Amino acid sequence: MRPEIAALQEAMERQGYIADPAIATALFLAREMRRPLLIEGDAGVGKTEIAKVLARLLDTELIRLQCYEGLDVSTALYEWNYQRQMLRVRMAEDEGKTAGEIEDLIFGRSYLLERPLLRAITRAEGPPVLLVDEIDRADDGFEAFLLEVLSDFQVTIPELGTIRADHVPYVVLTSNRTREIGDALRRRCLYLYIEHPSLEKEVRILRARVPGASARLAEEIGRFMQALRRRRLSKAPGVAETIDWAQALCHLHSEHLDRETVAETLGCILKDQHDLRELGAGELEAVLAEAAG
Amino acid sequence: MTAQADLIRHLARFAGALRQRGVGVTLSDEADGLAALTLIDLGDRDEVRRALRTALKIRQRDAAVFDELFDLLWRARHESSNPPVPAPGLPAPARPKSGKLPGRRATESEVETAVALGEEPGYSPEAVLRRKSFEEYSTADQAAMERLLARMVLRLATRPSRRRVPVRGRGEADLRRSFRRAVAHGGEFLSLARRARPIEKPRLVVLCDTSGSMDPHTRFLLTFVLALRRVTRSERSSEIFAFNTTLVRLTPWLRPGQVDRTLERLAHQVPGWSGGTKIGECLAEFVAYYLDELVHGQTIVIILSDGLDRGDVAPLGRAMRAIRARARRVLWLNPLAGDSRYEPTARAMAAALPYVDRLLPAHNLESLERLLPLLAA
Repeated sequence: MRPEIAALQEAMERQGYIADPAIATALFLAREMRRPLLIEGDAGVGKTEIAKVLARLLDTELIRLQCYEGLDVSTALYEWNYQRQMLRVRMAEDEGKTAGEIEDLIFGRSYLLERPLLRAITRAEGPPVLLVDEIDRADDGFEAFLLEVLSDFQVTIPELGTIRADHVPYVVLTSNRTREIGDALRRRCLYLYIEHPSLEKEVRILRARVPGASARLAEEIGRFMQALRRRRLSKAPGVAETIDWAQALCHLHSEHLDRETVAETLGCILKDQHDLRELGAGELEAVLAEAAG
Repeated sequence: MTAQADLIRHLARFAGALRQRGVGVTLSDEADGLAALTLIDLGDRDEVRRALRTALKIRQRDAAVFDELFDLLWRARHESSNPPVPAPGLPAPARPKSGKLPGRRATESEVETAVALGEEPGYSPEAVLRRKSFEEYSTADQAAMERLLARMVLRLATRPSRRRVPVRGRGEADLRRSFRRAVAHGGEFLSLARRARPIEKPRLVVLCDTSGSMDPHTRFLLTFVLALRRVTRSERSSEIFAFNTTLVRLTPWLRPGQVDRTLERLAHQVPGWSGGTKIGECLAEFVAYYLDELVHGQTIVIILSDGLDRGDVAPLGRAMRAIRARARRVLWLNPLAGDSRYEPTARAMAAALPYVDRLLPAHNLESLERLLPLLAA
């Protein structure tokens, strides 16, 4: 393994993110090639966390754009502050300014509301980390727009002209695969698929994130989660759920997984009515037995 | 040969092999792959694998093919450091030799039927065509059907989008554009700009059974699906899969207006075309790899199958439940349902039925026509 990749993996670990070589390699390549990194994987496997860790490692600002259906340019890029502009127009009229002067006044940078994309481009102190979270929730149109921004790292505002990035930001995109990401955007990025962690990795994550849990409990939780993911569930629990659960068990001062404790706290890891029902009927003991053996 | 040129050659061959297996890898991906390889430890097999997977953008569902071909690449690379063996390379995908073309049986008797029907008094040829079972179609009928289908499908109803676009006269006020306009008049709002939601076509995901028992119907159902696809226009608004013993995503291979050529290619590319069926396993595969990405609140899932499957029905029920939970509507088209005596008693059909919104016949055009209103919002 290339020493830089090993170093990156260790550095991420020091920040509390247990990365396997695949994650470290992808992040290393994205950083060296200065390309956006598109991360896919089930909910709760730690996609968003990668951007946060990257920002901490680079000691820079994390700028987050949360996507949703109907997200448009005025929420993602910029918006004029209309109220301020209108007030300024009225004042300027009283001052007897000409139309041209008024326009110069109200279309200045101080009347511009910077949204995440514009902020990521204009940050003066060095490149930030731009996290475009759940890109699959935005629609095709927005994706095309994002592609343009990510290709040139420049934005044209008709009233102000073209703004170029002083520092090209590090970009991380995440997707839960609720929609197929367009080929063009995917080709622009490097790609990483994060799987559910192995037992060994999951236990290490638990030890790092929930220091209150004993080694024995962490091991038991890890085994239980691995056994659980082998079942046919409609929503397989991710690491985020494992951590929540471990924290809940710590609060309950459980030192050991038994049938009752698990049954009471199952809501921490299974968040689907059907899954809960399936696991209630005797199945729970089978999973526990599998985890113990 | 320098190490660099050697690397390029191997990478190009690897990408070609991936493409042959239906994994989309473009030239720009290859360039990315090469750039990535210069940054890593080329002696570390797993690191090379990880870097290529990232740089070539290999999705989870293609991971198995990628790994398989990568192992071959790695071996070929180490062997070919010796004198150049004439293209030891990567094998072409296994494809069945005998690609039988479904529904292609334009016999004399069929042609005669067509002539006879055209002369029948009191019936418009179109009306006859609509009720004629697909099994009785001739080549001439087929062209007529394609035209008729295209017209029918145009009437597909639609739903409003969530995005707002500028419109005249109706819709809500759009402050941003209104203000831009007002600037031209010294800050006076002479007119309000408005925005509203445009009409959206439905998204379709079609899963088409291509097993032997469906043979006479496959061609017509695919024609229908292609017509739908042409009308919905947007490349990404419809997805088509074929299944029998395995599931194959057809979408990248489909070209509208070329049903014959498409079918011919399919017969060659889809393993086990006209073979038996494993509905449950195929749908489970669909759920595992495609459901999240392709099916959501606006998607209508259409399954074309006669439900004749001798496999285990438990996976089918599970898969159908998962599909039902995500899709807006699940329609099952069964050619056998055209018979008035038909009861959905085949085991697979019975297992799937609780999760199907409508079970519809699909043996002639009239039945497909009745399907259209259900594709509306």
